[in-house]
This record gives sequence, structure tokens and C-alpha cells, in this order.
Amino acid sequence: MSAADRAHDLLGRLVHASAFERFLISTSALLLSVFIGALIILGAGRMTDCASAAYTIAVPGKFVTQFVGGSAVFSMGFCYDPFAVYDLLFLGALGDVLSNPLNGQFATTLAETTILMFTGVAVAVAFRADIFNIGVQGQLVVGALTTGVVLAFVAPALAGLGLLATVVLLPLGLLLGAVAGGAYAAIPGALKAYADANEVITTIMLNFVATSIALFLVSREKFFKDPASFANQTVPLPDVALFPKFLFRPRDDVSLLAFAFAVVVLVGIWYLLQHTPFGYDLRTSGLQPDAAEYGGVDADRTIVSSMTLSGALAGIGGAVYVLMVLGNFQTGVPDYGFDGITVSILAGNNPLGVGFAALLFGVLKSGSIVVQVGSDVPPTLVGVLRGLIILFVAMPEFFRMIGRKFGSFDRPSEPAVADATGGGSDE
Amino acid sequence: MTQTDTAVRLEDITKRFPGVVANDSVDLHVERGSVHALLGENGAGKTTLMNVLYGLYQPNAGRVVVDDEAREFSSPRDAIDAGIGMIHQHFMLVDTMTVAENIALGNEPRKWGGLAVDREAARREVVELSERYGFDVDPDQTIADVSVGVQQRVEILKALYRGADVLILDEPTAVLTPQEVEDLFGVLDELTDQGKTVIFITHKLGEAMHAADDVTVLRDGKNVGTVDADETTREELAELMVGREVVLDVESTEPDVGETVLDVDALSVLDDRDVPAVTDVSFLVREGEVFGVAGVDGNGQAELVEAITGLREPESGTVEFDGREFTDAPRRERIDAGMAYIPEDRQERGLVMDFDLVENGILGSQHSPQFASEATIDWDGARAHAEDVVEEYDVRPPNADNDAVSLSGGNQQKFIVGREFERDPRLVVATHPTRGVDIGSQEFIHDRLLELRDEGRGVLLVSSKLDEVQGLSDRLAVMHDGDVMAVVDPDDVTEEELGLLMAGEYPEGYEPRSERDAAGVAQ
Repeated sequence: MSAADRAHDLLGRLVHASAFERFLISTSALLLSVFIGALIILGAGRMTDCASAAYTIAVPGKFVTQFVGGSAVFSMGFCYDPFAVYDLLFLGALGDVLSNPLNGQFATTLAETTILMFTGVAVAVAFRADIFNIGVQGQLVVGALTTGVVLAFVAPALAGLGLLATVVLLPLGLLLGAVAGGAYAAIPGALKAYADANEVITTIMLNFVATSIALFLVSREKFFKDPASFANQTVPLPDVALFPKFLFRPRDDVSLLAFAFAVVVLVGIWYLLQHTPFGYDLRTSGLQPDAAEYGGVDADRTIVSSMTLSGALAGIGGAVYVLMVLGNFQTGVPDYGFDGITVSILAGNNPLGVGFAALLFGVLKSGSIVVQVGSDVPPTLVGVLRGLIILFVAMPEFFRMIGRKFGSFDRPSEPAVADATGGGSDE
Repeated sequence: MTQTDTAVRLEDITKRFPGVVANDSVDLHVERGSVHALLGENGAGKTTLMNVLYGLYQPNAGRVVVDDEAREFSSPRDAIDAGIGMIHQHFMLVDTMTVAENIALGNEPRKWGGLAVDREAARREVVELSERYGFDVDPDQTIADVSVGVQQRVEILKALYRGADVLILDEPTAVLTPQEVEDLFGVLDELTDQGKTVIFITHKLGEAMHAADDVTVLRDGKNVGTVDADETTREELAELMVGREVVLDVESTEPDVGETVLDVDALSVLDDRDVPAVTDVSFLVREGEVFGVAGVDGNGQAELVEAITGLREPESGTVEFDGREFTDAPRRERIDAGMAYIPEDRQERGLVMDFDLVENGILGSQHSPQFASEATIDWDGARAHAEDVVEEYDVRPPNADNDAVSLSGGNQQKFIVGREFERDPRLVVATHPTRGVDIGSQEFIHDRLLELRDEGRGVLLVSSKLDEVQGLSDRLAVMHDGDVMAVVDPDDVTEEELGLLMAGEYPEGYEPRSERDAAGVAQ
């Protein structure tokens, strides 16, 4: 068997892997990435000077010293302790959960997770319809901008109403984000459906358009720039318009209400896909466009509506970013949209899986801050470790999607199918 | 049969796939210089067995003996070296190359010390070969320019060129007109006269009896008997295949026709390459009748049906369904109006391969109130529906949770037929409804089709199986090259006349179609 045949076989097995097999693949990929990361940490530590760059400040050689005689290892010049680094990366994200579950680290983790849940599910919905929405970032920016700008006009008038204002303003803000994001995504959707324009190209270009328009509008005082600030940002929204930050410290930019809302949205999208005629149409078009057409699905309309839904979810993500984290709109939005692509692939484009994938991302993001603060390991190395984990865990799913789309893999275990292709179309 | 020794002996071949025994200790003896038919229903293990002989599969147990010598083939290359050639159903020819180039491809004679292909020598060998076996093949024509029948002969020549003594043909008649089938059988005779051995896979009783010397019947992966073709009957073979008695002939009673359900008028349709595939076709389908369309595959039937069912925009002409103009109506409107459709391509169109049967059971009715109440799909109802179809149409394995992709072709077909028949349709458009379906289920599908007709529904039946369209139809249109040659009474027409019409020629006593068409409608 040639190498190409083996690769083809492997891809075929990946395409047909069961849910349990996929779970095992992801878990072993995670362990493998940690193992390789550990080697890199050791290697990097060998190249620094232990005297000037102490191995870890927070927990110096705790694990290695304990289990394998760390002092011996460090005297050989391996200055960074992989155990300590991964301890900080994974558990640091949770902070000191046992004594204080509502600590700042955990707040960061939760906030990141919340927003990534929206962008992740936005990408997933489009993927399920076989549309590659790379424009989630742009749709998120447009949603965030619209929410920030419109609420800045509306909110002051209602600010005196207290809780009532929140009840009105919060849903309004989310709705604005959804409408703006959805409308912005409908453009590439319509271009794909009616002008046959490749959505990958159009959405990427529209990302630049969104970012540039946002910068233009928010950097000029005659438009929406806050005159009281040097930064490119809109007027701060009153607290009543924002997600209430109960339980956590007020300075932690997280809201359990927003997190709960995100969970509800994920479950809702899952329900929509699995239990409604619209979801059926969308999934059928994504899996087999010819069969969808046969089943009476209007392909063009499905493309536009699934793009609009995807953009609306991204827009809500933007609104949540404004209403939970920033309190106004600022330029330089982090790459939540692009991370959403990875989150979705990691989750196998399953809305419920998006929750867990987003959590992994959230943990890694706030964990890497802890590693940077709590140890001497350079930030670039932390980035490498994060990237390794994501790469390893996402790759099998990614290849699965590619294989599904472009490969033709008969299930190797089905003689019936073999017979059908040989003798099935016998006339 | 000049010699009586054994060319191929398969002993106790067992081939297991996870969960399925495709071949269960099968013995097969093929005499040298004979035509041996391998007969069986779909999924009986015919192709698997031949793939073992051709080295594509390795058996779990048993021996392959060729020329009295036990062999182990790890790839088709080994089988070819042992003198075995296989002609697959789908030809593997390069369209833009000539006949001679295709035959020599991969085994070209060399010149200049192996640096260049000796085209002349290759051509000479091909000419010599085709003369020896009396093949009427021009070595210089390109493959794209020759008919399917000739392409098949090129495939056979290719196998002979590689030194094959034993030729395996997988469903060789699937793509041929009746005349071409006769020619093929002539070729097989010529081959065996010159000492070659032929094994051909088929599920058609008539062919097996007509062309073969011996017939081996497989059922459920077992050899249930080898009989002498001259001494057997259709009934005996059918019983061996199915394991019970089968009524072979369709009992079609006189139709009780009513209103016009489908009115196709001057319809012209382009194919995917924008070439006219259907030109100016008109016909009616009425309540309570089966209107058949016969023809060799690829003469516009597919495009015609797609235009009627709303999958393809017609170039000109009109389609009226139930008295309403439907020419440009979207597909969903047609489904809702009661047009059931068994598509030609079940794996691309008829089923979503990664959906289970419950999900596939509502394809087309996902918006209908039957399954979708208040914007939510009633999955319990869908499950009950799918389980009913699975049970009634004998879909195996009988589990609605199976993904469509895991079913064999015949069972996929049965599921689609069941889903469409149970739609309570006004009109059933059935393209090749029994393609790849075992004869037990064929009988059931035919009966159901006639039941639907007798309930006063219209049926448009497209099939390239002559006995099927002829037996079931009340009126029969013959298509050739995008045109309806004639609309005939299937009880009066002979198979030869049909064959000529399918090939685009008018037999004696047939006028051009317009008069016949009018007569057919007015009968």
C-alpha cells in the first residue's frame, strides 16, 4: 500500500469516525500537544540562563522537585518547569476556585468563553449550511458598533428609570447587534446566492470594510467619537444599559447573565437545527445540495437566511462585548471572529460542542495571562503552547471537514455499498 | 466447449465484512471455454465474489485456483498476470484517446530502448487482435466518437491485450440497447470458440439462460446451485434466486382512465452543457393510467423528468399539472400539489446519505403539516412513518436509525419508493423504480404501482428495462435523441420493434410520432 493510499484510508476513517472515536481523538490530541509542548518548554529553558531567568516565580519547581528530583534537573540547566507551566496555564485560568470561586481569573475566562460562544456558533451555523463565513469578525464589529452608537443616544434618556431601563435597554442593545450583524452578513449571502460570488472572498473583504468604517466613524468627533477621550471610542454607556455584574467584583468585566444567555442561545440554535423545518432545510443543503433541491428546498433562500442567522449571532456577540466588557464601542476589537472559526471546527460545528470548545479557548486565553504574570516564561512561548493545543485538537476535525467535502469515501465496512456500485445500477 | 478442464475453481471462499458475511463458503467451478453466468439478487455477493477472483478483495477463507494452481492475489495486477481480466460496469477509458491507444495504455510496446512508445506496433497488435475475434472496431477512432457497445468491446480487447484467458464482465448489458446486447452475446460466443472463458454477472434471468452455458445462482452469499442453462427454466432460476416462488409476469388490467393529470406540451430542455436534450416533446398522463417512457439511458429521459418535476428549467414549452400551469413553479409547490418523484440518482438526490432513515423519511415533506406542526418537526411522527415504510417495503436491515449510506443500493431504492408512494400523490413520476432491487421486491413495487394506478392516480414511468415498461405501461412512448419516436400500445409492439425505435429507426408500418401520438391520446 502506498503512502497516498494509506493517507486516503486514514482520511476515510476520520470522515466516518463515530462521536466516541472523535472524543478519543480530541483527548489524545490534547495530551500529545501537552507532551510536545513540554519538550519545547524544556528546550527553551535549556537556552536561558537559570540565574537571571528564574524558572518559575510562583511555584518554583514544585512538581519536578517533588516527583523526579527537580533540583537535579535544574542543575543540568533546564530552567523552565513544564509541570509548573501547564499547571498555571490550565488551572491558573480558574484562579483560586476553591476558596474564592468568583476571582478575577475565572471572570476573564468566563467573559472570553461567553463571547466565543457567540462567534463560534455563528461560524457553526454557516458551516452546517456548507458556507464558510469568515466574516464573523466584521459582523461582530458592525453589531458592536451599532449597539454602542444607538444606545449612546437612547440610554441617557432612560437612565433614571433604574431596573426598568435595564429591562428595556439590554434586549434593545442585543437586538440592534443582531439586526446589524445579520444585515451585514446578508450581503455576502445574497452575493453568493444570486451572483455566484464566493463567500470566502466577499466575507474577508467585508471584514476590512467593517473595521475601516468603524474606525472612520469613531475617530471623528463630528460623528460618534467621545469628545472627552483621546482614544477612538464612543461615549460610555450608563451602567443601567449594561449587563448587571452581580456576584463577581464590579471591576471584573463579566456577567453571569450574559453567560447564561449564551448557553440559552446555543441550546436554541441546536434546537433550531435539529427540530425545525428551517434547520432541516439548512442541514440538508449543507450535506447534499442536490438532495435538498429534490426535497423542495430553495437553495438561494437557504443560503441568504443561514448567512443572516450566522451574522445575527455574530452581531449579538458584538453587542455582548460592548454591554459586558467595554461599556462603549472602541476600535481594535480582538479577533473573536477568527477564533470563532477555530472554536467551531473544534466543536465539529455542533452548537452544543461550541460551548465546550469556547470554554477551552477561554481557559487558554486567561491561563496564558497567568503564565506570563506568574512565571518567567516569555509570552511568545506561551503563545506557542496555546497554538500547539489548538492546532492539535482542531486538526483532526478540520481534516474531517475537508475529507467530507472533497473526498469520496465509501465506508470500508460496507460490502453492500460495494455491491451496489458494481451491480446496483444494473439495468 | 472443446475442452472440459476447469479454468477457474473457487473453493470454500468466505469473505466477511464487519457485521456481514458477503460470501459464505462459496464453491465455483468454471469450465474452460464456457460462458458462465453468475446470477443473483442485489447484495447476494456476486460482485464481491468476482472481486475476490480479481484480487480486489482477499478472502477470509478458501482458495482461488486458476489453471489447477492455487493462487493468492494481493492486487488486480497479480490476477491480470494469472490471465484474469475484469470489465467493470463503468468503463475505464480515456475519451480523447483513440481505440488503439486506450487498449495499449499502460502496456505500450516500446522502441528506442524503451524511451518511446511504438504506436505503430501497438496499432498493429490491436488490429490483429480485433480481427482474430471478429470485432468490428476501428482502431483510429477516438473513444468519444464510438457507441457504448463499441466502448465495451474496447474494454474486452484491452483485457485480451493484457493476456486474459478468463474474462469477468460485471453486468455487461446494463448500458446496451437490445441489438447491442445481441451483438455482445455474439462476441462472447466467438471468444469461447477460441478457448477463452467468460464469467458474467447478471441479475436478469433471460440473459443468463440465453447467453450462458452454465448458471450459478448466489443467494445471501451462498451458492444455491449451478444448473445447465439449457435444462433450466425461468421459474426454477427465479425460485433459486429468491428462495420462494415468484410471479414473473406483471398482470396489467385495462386502465380506467379519468381526467388529465399531467399535460406536457412542446417541451424543450437543455442538458448541463446547454445542449438540447429534449426537443419539442408533448404527451398527456391521465388519472388511472401508466404512461411509460422507454429508451436507452441518456436519450433525454433524465432531462425530461427533471423539467417536469421542477429540478430543471425548460427552454420552452409548458407543463400543466392538475389543470394548473406549473412550468416555472418551484419544486416545493409541485411536491405540495401531490407530485411524487422517484429520482434516477438515489444517492445524490433521493436520499441524504448522512441522515438516518427517520430524517430521510420526511425529505420533501419537512414543511408539510403531516410532520411539521407549529414550526417544529414532529420527530415521533416521522419515526413512525419511516418505520412503516421500512416494514412495508421490506427495507433491510429493518432499522430506521441506520444512516442511508449504510444501506445497499437496492434497499435505498426500496425506501425511496416507499416514501414517495406513501405521499398520497396525484401523480407518481417513477424513474427506474426497480433499479438494483431484488426480484422479490420488484414484484411488490410493481404491484403497488398498479394499485396506485387503479386508485386513479397518474403514473409516469421511465425505465430502460423493456419488460418493465412494456408490462406496466398502458401507453408507451419511445425516446431517442431527445425526441419521442412513437407512442405505442405496449401489448401490440414487439421487442424488436421497440429496439429499433430506441435506436432511432422506424420499423415497417410505423409513421412519425405526431399521428401516433394523437392516436395514442385518443384511444
